[in-house]
Amino acid sequence: MSAAIEARGLGKDYRRMAAGYKLRTLKSALLDRSLTDGLKQSELIPAVRDLNFAVSPGEAFAVIGANGSGKSTLLKMVAGILKPTAGEILVNGRVAALIELGAGFHPEISGRENVFINGAVLGLSKREIDRRYREIVEFSGLEEFMDEPVKNYSSGMYVRLGFSVAIHTDPDVLLVDEVLAVGDEAFAHRCIRRIEEFLARGNTVLLVSHSLGLVEEFADRCLWMENGRVRLVGEPRRVVDAYRQAVAEAEGRGHQEAKEQRQSAVQGEPERAGDAGDESGAAAEATGDEGEGGEVLRWGTREAEVMSARLLAADGTERYNFSTGDQVVFELQVRAHEELEDFVFGIGVFTFRGLECWGTNTTLAGFESDALRGDVVVRLVCPSLRLAPGEYSLDAAVHARDGYAYDYQRKILTFTMTAREQGVGVYFPRHEWRFEGGVKWSRVPRDA
Amino acid sequence: MLDVSRRLLRYRSLLSTLVVRELKARYRGSFLGYFWSLVNPLLLLAVYSFVFTYIFTPKFADEANPYPLFLMCGLFPWIWVSTSLLEGTDSLLSGAGLIRKAVFPAEILPMVFVLSNLVHFLFALPVLAAGLLWGHLSGFPVGGWGAVWLPLIIGLEFLVVGGLTLGLAALNVHFKDVKDILTNVLSVLLYLTPVLFPLSFIKVAWGHWAIRWLNPFAPFSTAFQEVLFNGLQPEPVLLAQMAGWALVSWMLGSWLFSRLADSLVEAV
Repeated sequence: MSAAIEARGLGKDYRRMAAGYKLRTLKSALLDRSLTDGLKQSELIPAVRDLNFAVSPGEAFAVIGANGSGKSTLLKMVAGILKPTAGEILVNGRVAALIELGAGFHPEISGRENVFINGAVLGLSKREIDRRYREIVEFSGLEEFMDEPVKNYSSGMYVRLGFSVAIHTDPDVLLVDEVLAVGDEAFAHRCIRRIEEFLARGNTVLLVSHSLGLVEEFADRCLWMENGRVRLVGEPRRVVDAYRQAVAEAEGRGHQEAKEQRQSAVQGEPERAGDAGDESGAAAEATGDEGEGGEVLRWGTREAEVMSARLLAADGTERYNFSTGDQVVFELQVRAHEELEDFVFGIGVFTFRGLECWGTNTTLAGFESDALRGDVVVRLVCPSLRLAPGEYSLDAAVHARDGYAYDYQRKILTFTMTAREQGVGVYFPRHEWRFEGGVKWSRVPRDA
Repeated sequence: MLDVSRRLLRYRSLLSTLVVRELKARYRGSFLGYFWSLVNPLLLLAVYSFVFTYIFTPKFADEANPYPLFLMCGLFPWIWVSTSLLEGTDSLLSGAGLIRKAVFPAEILPMVFVLSNLVHFLFALPVLAAGLLWGHLSGFPVGGWGAVWLPLIIGLEFLVVGGLTLGLAALNVHFKDVKDILTNVLSVLLYLTPVLFPLSFIKVAWGHWAIRWLNPFAPFSTAFQEVLFNGLQPEPVLLAQMAGWALVSWMLGSWLFSRLADSLVEAV
């Protein structure tokens, strides 16, 4: 059986929109029917490069990737809206593109008339629309509003009518770009059911989405695009996992950069802080370094200092993104400027809204201090950190037993936790659902 | 360039749906509705008639008497031409949502404006007919069977306006200056086309020659005046001229459009 959609060496360049190219691009458009032939490589932006894949009939094929990775350009090329600049795209059968629903709705005229116009734009004859009109209106659930001008519709109603017309054009290949994100939950479910029926009839769906859950649930195969190229194609779960991992890693790198920036900002002048450490502990506030919005990020008298903090993964590498349940090591480099016998090391983990998730220190753990001198390394090892997915910040401190701060640093670093499953709150214990008696599910997660 | 014509024929039902939408949307919510399409032509007619009857006394008073009727025959088609060109040239930009978001035959958009303005022109024809009838009954030698040539003249002028609009619309996507240039050209062209006066009134030989042979709208305007005001059948030369302009303009416009068609989606 031949493929429903096949891309062979598919590529698309956009031109940079700078003045001065206009005449040349017009000339090249007139002579070669191409906007880009007359341009140098430096004047082009490659959106899609050397893409090869085939989608078989009846398959639900998902495309994921960051913004600007070329997903929508790909979809528009499949739809035939954009022409490729390299390679070719073959599509078997009639295509309906749910790219922008209700494209071409005219605000001033009624929903009823717009159904006919939109249907005509999507390639239906008047008779075909007549035949499906009732069904279209029923599916949209907008019976009472069909005589209202479309400008009075809410954005959800607009999308519902648009989707309803598009899905009733009986395509062989359906292209869906993020449109399921609009409209309310009930309508989204109805759309998904409709698309599933459509698949069951042996038709093909190409889906572009940022909703990874939907992709995992829905797609037979998944393509991950990065910078216009294929990063990975295959079984959705594997591809989505790899993608999530990459996103978390990128976030982790972001946390690391932010940490380094903060460190150079806050610890730029450690000497000044040392001088301010006079006898009156009340001066502590005065030595604080301020972060954004006037928030005090560091205070203390600096007899001892937290020189730096980092997070280490089980393999000993420095990382700022972890999966829930991973081993995490909190490491502090501490320097004592004079010998101290009263000292406590502590950390605290906070959400960005300032909720304290967990904190501990050496006193709470039962250590009693005797002597601290020179440079030391403090490591707190958590064999399994079970924080819920989200972003967290870390406070680190060295202080006296009575709380007198030598050096207290807020938000010394930030990190991301990810998990396969969602959860509410900050704690994410290992868990499993079990049921007894008359409980039946129409869908069960793949893990269970 | 033939594919543009072929696609326009294939999508004719979409085209007519969109023309109807355009007409409906324009007058939706207005009290006078379609009568608004008559207000502007009649207003212009009144102003020009006043100016050229009471302020300047033109030397062609004998050739074009009564002047308001003469003026009507040239002015109504001219309004169709100029509004079609102006609105049609901008149509790809104003309809950018459609061509960027849906698989849409872009050549339809300029044509929607040419056709919807043609409908306005046709709606004004009864007024013109009533005027000529009144003139005839009042004893002026106006009107006659020449009017049966009207459909042919309108058909040929449709090809001229349609072709130019297609080409200009495609160019306007690349250079937004096109529309501004067009606005100015049209306001000059009103005086360089025999609309306010008969062609025979241009006495300067080279000026007469240039307007007659180089202005694509001159033969049409003259033809409208001939068949409507004078009620005569158009001369063969005039018919040949109109057919020639129709062919050249349609070919050129659709060629330009088809060359630029692939780039439109990205450029708008």
